[in-house]
Amino acid sequence: MKQNDHTIFKISWRNIWRNRLRSSIIILAVTIGIFGGLVSTGIMKGMVMGLINNSLENQTSHIQIHNKQFVENNEVGFLMNKTDKLLSKISKEPAVKSVCERTKTFGMASTASKSAGIMVNGIDPVREKTVTGIWKKIVKGGGTYFESNKRNRIVISEKLAKKLKARIKSKIVITFQDYDGNLTGASFKVEGIYRTQNSMFDKQNVFVRKTDLDKLLNMPSHSAHEIAIVLKNYKQTGAEVERIKRLTPDYLVQGWPEIDPYLQVSASMVDFMLYIFMLIILIALGFAIVNTMLMVILERTKELGMIMAIGMNKFKVFKMIFYETTLLGIIGALVGIVISAAFTLYFGRYGIDISIVGKGFEAMGYGTVMKPYLELTDYFQVLIMVIITGLIASVFPTIRALKMKPVEAIRD
Amino acid sequence: MKVIEIKDLYKSYHDTEVEVKAVNGINLIFEEGEFSAIVGPSGSGKTTLLNVIGGLDAPSSGSVIIDGTDISTLSSRQMIDFRLHNIGFVFQAYNLIPVLTAKENAEFIMQLQKKSRAERDARIAELFAAIGIQGKENIRPNRLSGGQQQRVAVARALASKPKFILADEPTANLDSKSTANLLDIMRKLNEDENITFIFSTHDQRVIDRAKRVILLDDGKVTKDTKTK
Repeated sequence: MKQNDHTIFKISWRNIWRNRLRSSIIILAVTIGIFGGLVSTGIMKGMVMGLINNSLENQTSHIQIHNKQFVENNEVGFLMNKTDKLLSKISKEPAVKSVCERTKTFGMASTASKSAGIMVNGIDPVREKTVTGIWKKIVKGGGTYFESNKRNRIVISEKLAKKLKARIKSKIVITFQDYDGNLTGASFKVEGIYRTQNSMFDKQNVFVRKTDLDKLLNMPSHSAHEIAIVLKNYKQTGAEVERIKRLTPDYLVQGWPEIDPYLQVSASMVDFMLYIFMLIILIALGFAIVNTMLMVILERTKELGMIMAIGMNKFKVFKMIFYETTLLGIIGALVGIVISAAFTLYFGRYGIDISIVGKGFEAMGYGTVMKPYLELTDYFQVLIMVIITGLIASVFPTIRALKMKPVEAIRD
Repeated sequence: MKVIEIKDLYKSYHDTEVEVKAVNGINLIFEEGEFSAIVGPSGSGKTTLLNVIGGLDAPSSGSVIIDGTDISTLSSRQMIDFRLHNIGFVFQAYNLIPVLTAKENAEFIMQLQKKSRAERDARIAELFAAIGIQGKENIRPNRLSGGQQQRVAVARALASKPKFILADEPTANLDSKSTANLLDIMRKLNEDENITFIFSTHDQRVIDRAKRVILLDDGKVTKDTKTK
């Protein structure tokens, strides 16, 4: 900062504390506004990040490959062949962390008393563990995740278990159409019961060994309906989709934003919400700051007249008012940011339990523990918005100040 | 050497429907090193004349030539810069910046002029010694007496070594002792450093010490006496 600027800054800074009460009130207002805006956004962002993470971890992964017709019709016949070679090629991709294949079919699960429509996922438990986190979601006392090597074992959700009145070791009969279009079925013994934060997913999805399901469906060897890929860095999804497309030109390769556009929209939406929230808050605060600064200008008419008389030019007068206006905002913003950061860090770690009021959230995949989440860039963006607000808010008081004629101001 | 030349100067106001001729055809020359008092009853045009000389107010007609520059031809921006480098002001109500210390107030104009710290420190030390307020450098105006504040204001006006000082009723708010002190200081600076002072005043004590007294009445110079 130039020596000249330093003096102007010093005057502005000290001017703020000339009327401590008034400045403290406006700083407090900015602090509360920034805290409110950041924490609300943090909670929304945390919920959406939770939704995205849950979804990526348990359902979509980062990239999926299907037979194009399977995506359209979900029929057993639309499968991918030679998946063993494909898996081997994909595994060699440097960006790929893990990959697995699945056989998928719609079916009907029935117990003695109840039945429900389900999606049967035939998986290789060892590979699946490297891709999805269902194995970590086995509820307490809910058995195991394919630890037994016995045939026709099934892992179902807690929701489905309740619906079917099934327990560990209960038998569930699953009926479905095989590869040739014949109705077939088998009895599976419940080995594990899981619960994710997405009850919609839980209601629909059951997991069996791929080897068991392939036999029942009469699937050709080395075939699957779905290949799921987890990358080392999810941000590489777009680029990696393009690379894998070149490896498997016959199949449909999709990244998670394409598989579940809702996730992508939610992520973009919540970033946009930060701007909207902060814009509304800062407009309101901007008016309060303008009002305060107009009072300040009125009180200091003589002083401003004097400094203009002795040779301070208009730009420096503007700078003096701009610094004072912006500093009021920045002090409030910094305090607000620090409190918001502390709040976000604490509750981001320990979470806020909203299970009493938030059952509907679970149905939508959001979970019932809110963990606020804000990135460093969010804080910087807010700080920049506050500085811009200060710049805009200082224009009107500056115009008022510059309209003064020094000779009249001094006389006043 | 001529510092200020005023030619056919008129300044009218239209406060109501009646035109008030505050300055009504003044011709004056101020030489370097003058210690002049412009005196006259209230409404005689003293302050208006001072404001026009200082470029704070524009004349209705006529010209004010300072060191060869006709200031009525300067743009508002140029005028601000001209004031910064050429004219020192001392106001009746001191008008110090309350959030700055005595030293910071005094060096404020030098900072606007982008003078170096060393240059500022040397000049302020010299001035504070001359005006007798050493030891008050780091005190804010609200903790200084009226006389001390006005001395700081004089130091501020002198700090940048202007061509002349315009002082509008500088002693109006001071007691006798402070007035005497301030006038002694200004007279000494005038004599030692050849600084030109132009006062607008009612104060007989100022008039008594002035080397030249210009009497104004109804915006006209009615008497111009060199006393000492």
